[in-house]
Amino acid sequence: MTTLDEFLDFVSRELGLDVTTHDADRNVDELPGWDSMFLLTLVTALEQQAGRRVLLADALQASTLRDVHKLAVDA
Amino acid sequence: MAAEPAAPADGGADSPSDVLLRMHRQDELVPRYPEVKRLLAEMSGPELLRAGNLLSRLDPDRVVAAHPAVPALTVAVTGHGTLGALLPALTAELARHGLLLRARLSDFDSYVFDLGDPGSGLYASRPEVALCVLDAAVVFDEVATPWQPADVERVAAEKLALLAGLADRFADSCDGTLVLNTVPLPRRFTAQLVDHRSRARLGAVWREFNTGLLRLAEDRPSLAVLDLDPLVACGVAAEDVRLSVYAKARLSPPLLAEYAREVGHLARHVAGSTKKVLVLDLDGTVWGGVLGDDGPDGIEVSGSYRGEAFAAFQRVVEQLASQGVLLAAASKNDVEPVRRVLREHPDMRLGEEHFVRIAASWGPKHEALAETAAALNLGTDAFVFVDDSAYERELVRRELPDVTVVAVDDEPALHVTHLLRDGWFDSLRLTSEDHARVSRYRQEADRRDFLDGFSSVEDYLRELEVSVRLAAPGPAELPRVSQLTLRTNQFNMTTVRMQPTEVGELIAAKDTQVLAVHSSDRFGDNGLVGALFLRRERERLHIDNFVLSCRVFARGIEQTCLSSVLRHARQTGATSVAGTYRRTAKNGKVAGLYTAHGFTEVADDGTTAAFRHDLHHVPAPPPHVHLTESFAPHEEL
Repeated sequence: MTTLDEFLDFVSRELGLDVTTHDADRNVDELPGWDSMFLLTLVTALEQQAGRRVLLADALQASTLRDVHKLAVDA
Repeated sequence: MAAEPAAPADGGADSPSDVLLRMHRQDELVPRYPEVKRLLAEMSGPELLRAGNLLSRLDPDRVVAAHPAVPALTVAVTGHGTLGALLPALTAELARHGLLLRARLSDFDSYVFDLGDPGSGLYASRPEVALCVLDAAVVFDEVATPWQPADVERVAAEKLALLAGLADRFADSCDGTLVLNTVPLPRRFTAQLVDHRSRARLGAVWREFNTGLLRLAEDRPSLAVLDLDPLVACGVAAEDVRLSVYAKARLSPPLLAEYAREVGHLARHVAGSTKKVLVLDLDGTVWGGVLGDDGPDGIEVSGSYRGEAFAAFQRVVEQLASQGVLLAAASKNDVEPVRRVLREHPDMRLGEEHFVRIAASWGPKHEALAETAAALNLGTDAFVFVDDSAYERELVRRELPDVTVVAVDDEPALHVTHLLRDGWFDSLRLTSEDHARVSRYRQEADRRDFLDGFSSVEDYLRELEVSVRLAAPGPAELPRVSQLTLRTNQFNMTTVRMQPTEVGELIAAKDTQVLAVHSSDRFGDNGLVGALFLRRERERLHIDNFVLSCRVFARGIEQTCLSSVLRHARQTGATSVAGTYRRTAKNGKVAGLYTAHGFTEVADDGTTAAFRHDLHHVPAPPPHVHLTESFAPHEEL
């Protein structure tokens, strides 16, 4: 899951959110159907997929999906 | 796990997850909602949770508007920590049972207000089930550092008293069921104490807290306490420390998922669709080997590694049967060798007497199941079917989609785990009726043989010596009356499900009355088999509901009851009796009950029909039934 598009596809499958590249830089709170719990669900699922740890305190401060993707890739 | 988005495991056909996701993307989840239950049937773990994420965003009102027959259940969720993650899991677990979740999630840490104030939003939502999710922080948030076990003991005792009061307030304010849970104690608390003596003390204090929680349910009929310790003992992590610290989500997502599964089964019970029959394949499921090939001496039931595993499975099945689960066998075998091995095999734990029906034949298994359902007078949705053959399971799944299919495989040591993975037979409490159920159904088989010896049904009924006793239920009988409203689907005129406290309230109220129906015949006592819910409104007596166990249909008991109620109405000055029939998918066979007994239909809006009896001509009870009746209140109430 190295590219942003792969990550967005993962988000879409995991949460059922219809997100495109266009949405990557929007504030997550503006995404239709977004719930604050999703960030946790997403990060936990990301960790299981990637088999490595993401710093949760940083992830909770991410405001866009691109930020979250960056954390997942850099971790 | 691969870093790529997950592809269907089989590579070919779409998995149920794919189908569900596509339905979501094409905005078809609402119009095709009735298909969801089947798609979820085979899912578990992360897959089921993903499905819950999709489903929890559907508007329940839209689903109900599109499918009025889908049963919806209002569940209030409150507690101490952040519980948002519970909703997708709960949504999916209820949907597995065909139930639509109407969730009411409280604000963070508001359980004391929610449950303590009768005017709270929680009570206003009139939940059928209220979950108050407890975690270790309920206690430790109020223990100041540095602390000793005695400090924990003091706070825990305060919380226990608080929760007891909240449970009582709930019982007074709401007709639903309150669910509490025991609280696992993570090592990060015990390990803060450096000496073993104090650690042991903390362990004892904590277990006393949990024991106290469990005991709260003993004398509170509307309370259930889920014990989370057995889940944690199976290796489910109690907490995810990071989520606990950063999000105050105190219980781990996997533990919440298991919790949701238990709640799903409880919800299924509350909604009145408890499973009643366990149908077992025999070869490879109940014993090792193939009876037809290996012979009675060759099958594995004891004395070997695999034999012991099958013996353990049989003991668990026997244990379930002792609590009212009806056992049936569906086996591709000749019937005589099967009966002989069950009767005569010295090491067979399960005997012929444990089964209410043995369907051994060479026909397809779904036919055997359908015949068993007809013989027991139950719907196939009350059935759980266990088989080690994927072919048989798939066939039954396809032909009888209402049957729950449990897979066991070629590792018999895991049969018990597979069978008990889901609480298909969970209920809030057992009644004496449950313990006697197997013998009652076996009596029924004797009755049928008896019937075969008569040339007419009238002759048969005369010889059957049916007795009916109609009387107000005593306190000990309230759970059974409640259970009849919950379990009975076919002869249930309005399908109003009731908890014991609600039955008690109807008995205590001035204008309402409950009558329990007991019956017996020459083959034995049938027990408490039915109930009538009456309401007096000036000159009119309403029969708000009439339920009768499917075991005792069509032998004059329903005529006897109605005749008795009509006569009682006339004797007490009523000028008419009103009856109601509310149509469900299951109770079609009683649609004509009232008109068959002299009532006139006065209204029918398609779902509910109203009937009236003018009491000019009250039918006599059938001559073959011996009736004892008492309309007086029970002396203990």
